[in-house]
Parts: sequence; C-alpha cells; structure tokens
Amino acid sequence: MTTGMERLLAAASGRTSDRIPIFVNMSDQGAPTLGLSIEEYFRSGEAVAEAQLAMREKYDYDNLWSLFYVGKEAELLGCKEILFSEYGPPNVLDFILKKPEDIHRLVIPDDIGALPEFAEQKKCLQILKRESAGRWPVCAYLTASMTMPALLMGMERWMDLALNGPFSLRDELLGKLSDFFRRQVRAIREAGADILIYANPFGSTDFVPMKFFEETSVPWMERDVTDTGVADMVYYCGMARLGEALTPVMERLKFPTYYLSPLDDIAAGKKVIGGRGLTAGVINDIELIDWTPEEVRAEVKRMLAAGMPGGKFFFGTGVMPFAIPEANIRAMVEAAKEFGAQG
Amino acid sequence: MGGPLVIPVRDMLHEIIRRYNEAVYDTDRPRAMKVIDEAVAAGVTPEEVVFSVVIPGLEGMIDSISKKFTHNLAQHFMAAQIAAAVTDAMVARFAVPPASEGRVVIGNAHGDIHSLGKRIVIGCLRALMIDVVDLGVNVAPEDFVDAAVKQEAGVIAISSLMVHTARGPKGPVGVRQLLRAMDLEGRIKIVVGGAAYRFNENLYTIVEADAWAPDGISAGRVILDLLRERKP
Ligand code: B12
Repeated sequence: MTTGMERLLAAASGRTSDRIPIFVNMSDQGAPTLGLSIEEYFRSGEAVAEAQLAMREKYDYDNLWSLFYVGKEAELLGCKEILFSEYGPPNVLDFILKKPEDIHRLVIPDDIGALPEFAEQKKCLQILKRESAGRWPVCAYLTASMTMPALLMGMERWMDLALNGPFSLRDELLGKLSDFFRRQVRAIREAGADILIYANPFGSTDFVPMKFFEETSVPWMERDVTDTGVADMVYYCGMARLGEALTPVMERLKFPTYYLSPLDDIAAGKKVIGGRGLTAGVINDIELIDWTPEEVRAEVKRMLAAGMPGGKFFFGTGVMPFAIPEANIRAMVEAAKEFGAQG
Repeated sequence: MGGPLVIPVRDMLHEIIRRYNEAVYDTDRPRAMKVIDEAVAAGVTPEEVVFSVVIPGLEGMIDSISKKFTHNLAQHFMAAQIAAAVTDAMVARFAVPPASEGRVVIGNAHGDIHSLGKRIVIGCLRALMIDVVDLGVNVAPEDFVDAAVKQEAGVIAISSLMVHTARGPKGPVGVRQLLRAMDLEGRIKIVVGGAAYRFNENLYTIVEADAWAPDGISAGRVILDLLRERKP
C-alpha cells in the first residue's frame, strides 16, 4: 500500500504516485469523535492525538494534523484566558500586551519544549510521530513573527502599531516574536513534526501594500527562517490570497511548498510557482458546509483539473469548520482520490 | 467659460485629492492629515473636504478592491481611520450642521471578539454621516435588539470573523428571532459582514440577514440604502 509520505515525496520531486496527496486539516471535529466537549478535548494531548489518528483512518486522507487551536501560541507566552465555544474553535480572550511596557517586559522562553504550556502539544506530536511510523506526514502550525501580535494585542491595535508606529516599539516586538518563532520551530521539530505550516497573513498583498511587504514583511520573514531553514516548511497566508506576494516570496525565501487560498486562481498560482515548488490547491471549506455532495465532487474535479497538469500538486483544506457535514468530508476525499488518481 | 479664479481653485482641489489619495495609498496618516490641513488653510471648505475629497477617495478605493485587486487591508484600515477623523473634524465646522442619515448599532456577534473589521466599518459609516453606536464585542442578541430599540436605530450591524459566530443560534439568527417575536422587522434591518461571509456570498441569507457587504465602504452604501428605504 502506498503511504501518504510516499505520495508527498513523489509529488514534491515531480514524480507521480498512485494519486496526488490529500491533506485534510480538522481540529474541533476531534471532540465529537471522542464524545468530549471541545473544551475538554483540547485539554489533553493524548485525546487530540487519538482523535487525529481516528479521523485519518476513518476518512483515509494522507496527513496527521496536530494543531489544537491557534490561540495555543498565545498561551505559550502567558495568555491565560481562552474563550471556548460548543460549536467552533477556541479564541484568545485576553490580550497579554495591553500597553507599551508590556512589550518591553515580554520575555521569550529559551526552551519552549520544556514549558508546561507546551506539554500537551508535545505529547500529541510524539504520539502522532510514533503511531504514524513515517507513513503519514505529521503537520504542525506556527505563526510568523509578523502575525503573532494579532494574538497578543488584537488585530486592531497591531494594525495601528504596524502601520503608524512607534516603529522602534514595533520592531522590538517583532524581534522578540521572531525569536519565539525560531525557538518554537526547534521544539516542534524535536517533538516529531515532519511538516511546519508557516502561517503569515501579513505575507499576503491582500493585507499589506507591496511597499510594506517588501520593506517590512519580507525582512522579518527572512529573520524568522534564516537559522531554521525552510526545507520542511509550507508558506500559508491564513487563507488570504498569495497573489502578487508569491514571486518575491519564492525568490527571497525559497519555501519548497505553497498553500494557495481558495480565492486564488489555482492555474495562475501554479504557473507562477512553475516547477520551483509544490503547490496546494485549497478548497473553500466554508462553502463545504452548504454544498451538496454532488457540488463538492464537481468542485474537487474542477480544482484538480486546474492544478494537476505539470505535477507537483496536492489537494488541501483550510482548518475545516466544525459545521461541515460528514457526508461532504467523505465526498471531498472520495472525489480527490478519483480525480487525483495518477496510476 | 470659467473666470480666472475658478480654474486655479478647481485645479487645487484636484491636486489635493491626488495628494490625499497618495498618502492613504502609502498608509501614511500624518501626510494625509497634513494635506487636509493645508487644503483648509488654503480656503477649501469643510463640506468640500468631506464630499469631494474624503468620500470619493473611499469610493475609488472600493472600486479598485473589487476590480483590480490593488488595494489591501492596510490601506482600507488607514483610509477608514483617516476618513473618520477628517469627517469628525470637518463636520464640526460645517456652515449648516449636516442631517444625520440615520442611526446604526453595531457589534461583534456573540462569542466573537475580532473587532478590526467592525472598526473599519464604523470609520466608513461615520464618514458617510451615519450615526453609529458601537456595542463592542461578544454582544448577545438581546443586547443588540435592546440597544436598537432604545437608540431608535434603523439597522443592527453584526460582524463575525468565524463561521460559528455567524451561523450559531446566538448570532444574527438569534437577533432575527427577537425582531420577529417583537414585530420589529419592518423597522429594524439586519446587516452582516466579516471574514466568514466573504468565503460564502450566500451565507447572509442562511443567517436570515437583510443584507451583507464584503468591505467597509460597501457596508456604508448598503446601510445607507436600508436606512433610506425605511424613511417615509
Ligand atoms: C488574519 C487572520 C487571522 C490572524 C489574526 C486573526 C484576528 N483578527 O485576530 C490569526 C493568524 C491570528 C488567525 C487566527 C485564527 N483564525 Co483567522 N484569519 C485571518 C484572515 C486571513 C483574515 C481575517 C482578518 O483579520 N481580516 C481583516 C478584517 C478587517 O477583515 P474582515 O473581518 O473580513 O472585515 C472586513 C469585511 O468583512 C467587512 N466587515 C466586517 N465586519 C462587518 C460587519 C458588517 C455589518 C458589514 C456590513 C461588513 C463587515 O468590512 C471589513 C473591512 O473591509 C482570515 C481569512 C481571510 N482571508 O479573510 C482568517 C479566518 C478569519 N480565520 C479563521 C479562523 C477559524 C481562525 C482561528 C479560529 C483558527 C483556529 N482554529 O484557531 C484563529 C483564531 C485566533 C484567535 N483570535 O484566537 C477562519 C474563520 C472561518 C471559520 N473557519 O470559522 C478564516 C476565514 C480562515 C478560513 N477560511 O479558515 N486568523
């Protein structure tokens, strides 16, 4: 039997396999899988690992997703209040950076892997790594320095600081958060992740003007990854479009893999990336809630027809909303198998 | 034929618009404010600043967002912020105080604490002379309706970043139920927006809203239309 890892390696090197890789990223869905509330579920790394393994087995896709929720990263830096919901992802409730002094005072722990707040994630990654035994790439999600302040001070205040300054304060914060990113990379790799999602909506020109992108976003991205390398990283803008940012990112950062937005044109994206990287065509998983299984099938077919020519392509989802019906998840995976066949 | 005085003034306005838009485009707030200050000092009226510079600037931006993909969130954020600040300052100096276009209460849906989109929308509404009452984040349906009734607002505007705060029972659907039960649907309209809706343009009907808008400036237009529809 061909494994997800074999499919991924084939796609990355431009070879064919039995089919293209199919990546499905589910978080909150793990809770009902185990009959737990979302809040209970996310307290336990063992639970998350168990549910992830069960969901992969059930739907038969190619990756193992280890993200609990994005706000976890704020917890690593001292956030204690998370808003849980019964039917959606948890959110950061308390922003730890309330005034400029809080930025001066922010200390980035040296060894993220040793933090008690990292323990459950570490357990989860270790279990996934062990149980996968190299068959299913274990994926982890990390927030880029430029986007991390959204979780620590809120988007509103971060936009203000990023665009209006004081710029010395902004850069002090980004310096710390870039260190945080690098230390997190170390901890997450050590715990067993095979693939790191470099999440940076501020690396999209949907977000910032090209001038800001080139003068500010790119240098901070370079700082994030210079020491860590990018060999296992995927460039992802949080479902914002890669658009015009793609070319400069490819030239200056050289990520091996690019995760398009559902709002990007797949064929156009692939043309820009050319043979220089692996491209993920990403389904609009918000529409996945209301589509009929037939519509899901037609959409997957359309996406793969646009993305598969020339190879170096795989199918992906965002972080799938909780409300997507099971029938649509099955229809999606089945269609991706059928139309993604290369045999 | 225009007299000799008219041409330079019109040219000057043209130049002001160009420089203002350029500053907004570069997300340079101090420069945009300076352009406006200089315009006023040179004799441009507060009314002209609002109606000929600020509002057309916002509208031009939205056209280009939808057609050419040349503007982005940062510019939108700055344009709304600057436009609201300039409008507030100018309206205070209008020869005749402007009639308000109506009142809106706005907030983030229950369970949602992402206020950036809402803040941009508020800026745009204020620039369009719409009275806005900000109810904050994580607002329960009852609080939306109570506030709308007390404030005599014609529109309840609800922002949701996430699917579950858009679709959940305590989101717009909950507000709709209350309006229906209280027989207020004719008087108070529901407008929704936020990231979740931009990935599914039909979502607003699923959550039983009257309208939605994909960005702050179109939000202004949509809300203005609803407020005017209600007027006798
Ligand atoms: C940047 C971003 C992030 C950043 C910052 C988030 C933040 N704001 O705090 C980070 C990376 C931290 C992040 C994290 C998460 N995110 Co996020 N994120 C985004 C992204 C790329 C942009 C959102 C944003 O801030 N836009 C800027 C604002 C200003 O735009 P806006 O909300 O659309 O508002 C505009 C219009 O919609 C309109 N508008 C807004 N409100 C209103 C109201 C009315 C009445 C009207 C008429 C108009 C209107 O005007 C505004 C100005 O033009 C979107 C995807 C996308 N491309 O939109 C995902 C997205 C919003 N995120 C999503 C999710 C799920 C999350 C997480 C919950 C993931 C997780 N499982 O942990 C976390 C939550 C983090 C937390 N706070 O604890 C989903 C939400 C959908 C869903 N699945 O439920 C999205 C849509 C991505 C996706 N497709 O999966 N995210």
